[in-house]
Amino acid sequence: GDLGPFNPGLPVEVPVWLAINLKQRQKCRLIPPEWMDVGKLEEIRDQERKEDTFTPMPSPYYMELTKLLLNYASDNIPRADEIRTLVKDTWDTRMAKLRLSADSFVRQQEAHAKLDNLTLMEINTAGTFLTQALDHMYKLRTNLQPGDSSQSQDF
Amino acid sequence: MAEAYFPVGPGLGMEENFLSLDDILMSQEKLPGRAESALPRLAVLLGQGAGSGESVQEGSKLEIPLWLAKGLHDSKRRIISVELPKIYREAWRTVFSADANVVDLHKMGPYYYGFGSQLLNFENPENPEIAQTILQASLSWGWLCVTCLCSLQTFVARFRRIMDSSQNAYNEDTSALVARLDELERALFQVGQKGLNDFQCWEKGQASQITASSLVQNYGKRKLAEVDG
Repeated sequence: GDLGPFNPGLPVEVPVWLAINLKQRQKCRLIPPEWMDVGKLEEIRDQERKEDTFTPMPSPYYMELTKLLLNYASDNIPRADEIRTLVKDTWDTRMAKLRLSADSFVRQQEAHAKLDNLTLMEINTAGTFLTQALDHMYKLRTNLQPGDSSQSQDF
Repeated sequence: MAEAYFPVGPGLGMEENFLSLDDILMSQEKLPGRAESALPRLAVLLGQGAGSGESVQEGSKLEIPLWLAKGLHDSKRRIISVELPKIYREAWRTVFSADANVVDLHKMGPYYYGFGSQLLNFENPENPEIAQTILQASLSWGWLCVTCLCSLQTFVARFRRIMDSSQNAYNEDTSALVARLDELERALFQVGQKGLNDFQCWEKGQASQITASSLVQNYGKRKLAEVDG
């Protein structure tokens, strides 16, 4: 798309990749998104700990954005270390909730579960293991049904 | 991080996948059985005698690998009959229902789940007590369904432990944990660990670095050897 015009000293919105690139060439200063602020993140973290369900995150890519911005532009972000800790805490809490609900799902052998407000990163981290485990459960469960009585070849 | 080799997984339920290494290894596991009729000159093959001309007596006990048992077992049961191995019987079932996490499944036969599923291929009305108390279905199904219910429950009970240990053990020695899992659980464990490792890799930023593929790393060494030799 179209970007710019780039006038010195004036804030401009650009895609993240361009921003990181310019920053690496030391041509710009990054402004953190409005949710990347200690107070707001503390609120989110506390809410996450209180609730049993997942809280909606300010951005579906909060992990990726945090990592990129804190790695490349930590000098532009106030209290970067605290933000890193807060985001990590929130991530850990969410992962723990995910695992707990996966465990109860398996234990009760339910067929269907609905999880709101999960970001893609979390799904990908925990997902492979869960789908494989459910596959195995399915296999073990089909043994219970006398599906087809197919005999192997008789000579 | 692409894999160099894409394995064929084990088969579904009662069927085996012909090309799956796991299934092949699993079908080598032995099954206790009995010869129903005399088997002439096969004593040496089945580990019963030393001479090449000896035959297996009718009614003698044999330990047969699964693939052999499947082949020889036919509905008229003329050749051999199989019994349920100890691990799938009443005594062990109570142990599993008490606490499934404690059992060392690897020692019990590294393919507990797969083997249990394969046992369904054998109709065996030798345990009418179990069939009557557990299920109202036909005699042959009673025996088998109990086995598979038990293995499903065992799996479910052990799932939590596997998940927790695979997701949290980063760069630690996991051999102590893995020793007690059977092959199916080990595969699951490795998947969980891989997920964890990939995530850590991404966090460190290694995901965007280009590293030499494991296939290619050996090429340099071989070329040097050719030049020298």
